[in-house]
Amino acid sequence: MKNRDTRDLIGGIALIAIGVFAALHARQYELGELQRMGPGYFPTALGIILAVLGVLVAVPALFREGTSIKIEWKSLLWVMVSILVFAVLLNHLGMIFTSALAVIASSMASDIKWKARLILSGCIAAITYLIFSFGLGMVIPVWPWSY
Amino acid sequence: METLDSLYIGLQAALQPNILLYCFIGVFLGTFIGVLPGIGPLAAISLLLPITYHIEPTAAIVMLAGVYYGAEYGGSTASILLNLPGTAANAVTCLDGHPMAKQGRAGVALFMTTIASLCGGMIGVFALILFSPSIVEIGLKFGPAEYFSLMILGLISASTLASGSPAKGMAMVVFGLLLGTIGTDINSGVPRFDFGIPEMMDGISLVGLAMGLFGISEIVNSITIKRDAKITEKITMRSMMPTKQDFKDSIKPMLRGSGIGGFFGALPGTGAAIASFISYAVEKKVAKDPSRFGKGAIEGITAPESANNAAAQTAFIPTLTLGIPGSATMAIMLGALIIHGIQPGPMLMAEQPTLFWGLIVSFFIGNIFLVILNIPLIGMWVSLLNIPYRILYPAILVFIMMGVYSVHNSTFDLYMVAIIGVIGYAMTLLRFEAAPLLLGFILGPLMEENLRRALLLSRGDMSTFIDRPISMWLLIISGLILAWSFYGSFRSQLRKNTLAKEQAAAGNA
Repeated sequence: MKNRDTRDLIGGIALIAIGVFAALHARQYELGELQRMGPGYFPTALGIILAVLGVLVAVPALFREGTSIKIEWKSLLWVMVSILVFAVLLNHLGMIFTSALAVIASSMASDIKWKARLILSGCIAAITYLIFSFGLGMVIPVWPWSY
Repeated sequence: METLDSLYIGLQAALQPNILLYCFIGVFLGTFIGVLPGIGPLAAISLLLPITYHIEPTAAIVMLAGVYYGAEYGGSTASILLNLPGTAANAVTCLDGHPMAKQGRAGVALFMTTIASLCGGMIGVFALILFSPSIVEIGLKFGPAEYFSLMILGLISASTLASGSPAKGMAMVVFGLLLGTIGTDINSGVPRFDFGIPEMMDGISLVGLAMGLFGISEIVNSITIKRDAKITEKITMRSMMPTKQDFKDSIKPMLRGSGIGGFFGALPGTGAAIASFISYAVEKKVAKDPSRFGKGAIEGITAPESANNAAAQTAFIPTLTLGIPGSATMAIMLGALIIHGIQPGPMLMAEQPTLFWGLIVSFFIGNIFLVILNIPLIGMWVSLLNIPYRILYPAILVFIMMGVYSVHNSTFDLYMVAIIGVIGYAMTLLRFEAAPLLLGFILGPLMEENLRRALLLSRGDMSTFIDRPISMWLLIISGLILAWSFYGSFRSQLRKNTLAKEQAAAGNA
């Protein structure tokens, strides 16, 4: 056995952890009894079932070969940056600049030229304004000075 | 006669100008995202969900439904021209559709898949009209025990039939159920798993969860995928004309495909993708010369395309009549109804006849719109396939974020989407499917409520689930599906192991 099935091993262990955590965390809620279940009954039961399923996923993976996992770090990073930029700036810069900056951030993940990137961000900001503010009538500040 | 009267009510509702407009927008967007590989109907419907807050419920649900069945029409375009399925349910269309394109018959293939889609769609709607009233009657007899068992059946079949590993699928369902318990418990008012964050008391937002799991992780996954295939061929009206033989060869497969699709669409847990694969397999079995398949056989595209469209329509049967969605996409549709204060279930048909029948009549109208969109306007969709993804995804990402923000006007939901997006991406890397999770998430609160109510009525006696015959049968079927799928995965594992051993032995010799 050289290359274990790491996918199911990691996944299974994560499921066990989530299940155990949920069951333990649910202890602070009243369990109740079958006839009158308290708020803790269902989550506790689910946590235990999840942990058992985690074992069922992880244990067979120990005896099985698998392929390696390839993570797209660059794509993941820039998509996350884009969401954070959007979340942080939306209440300060208005939707036009925020969308444009979010597009610039997310497009860093692809090999697009800077000029095209700037044009793209302008176009998408304009389309966003047209759809959400103009078309759907959503009340979101458009410019930094609209607050 | 009663049905005809109801259809008349529906026709009046569906012919209102604004409903017609939203129906058109829905099928247009559905074709749009169906044509583009990489965005499925599930992501598109969750993306549109926040927008529907701003329009009236019938129009909203007509539009979302249009996106769903419209995607099945559009999905075959990329399968035929690029050998890339537009949606999962169109994957099997690649097998014979792309060879047809290589033989210079792309136009015929596009034309015939549209006709097949129309045939499947129409038969699906007829099945919906025919069977819904009787299922409603059964549904009216359901108590909490039956509902609980039915949800068990739906969740078990959704998690085991569609995915490779039953344990992983089940785990995702349970994880989804667990996420569904986050927020204030409706019975006791106790906030659960809120970790002291006030925004968590309302639970995780459905839009945020769906967008994180499907939208964000799909984008992260697709950015680096190279799609250098360019379509240079022009599709003219003349090139689309099929021969008489094409028609003759397609009629029976289309009817068989519609039947198979209609059946599997209505079953919980199965759906358009499974239906299209089964109908392809059936055609191969009944064909006089099975060797033609994979080399551009017309039955190989018309049967599965009828099947997935019939399934897309009959999938509405359990959702509308029982309030139990059979798939994650239908679960989102259910969520959309609930957001608008409409509780789907056996009472829906009686309480909201305009919505119920208006929606059904809109299916007919939508299918006709789709034929117009897909035959004369095919050139537009083909040129859409030439837009590079690096231009599309930043726009999709911004729309996702605007949509998520608009639900509660809160940036908190955006941070949630980032976290859920990372989890969703990790799940794709580890090959865990997100669809069962979403189904579990939506059914979770319903399931807990019915479980509690059933046990309250039976004074804590678990045998209530077996004493009631409908509930007992639902549980027996669930048990059989579970046993069968675990046996199946165990057997395929054994086969792989012996194969590996034989290969090793052959290598040593």
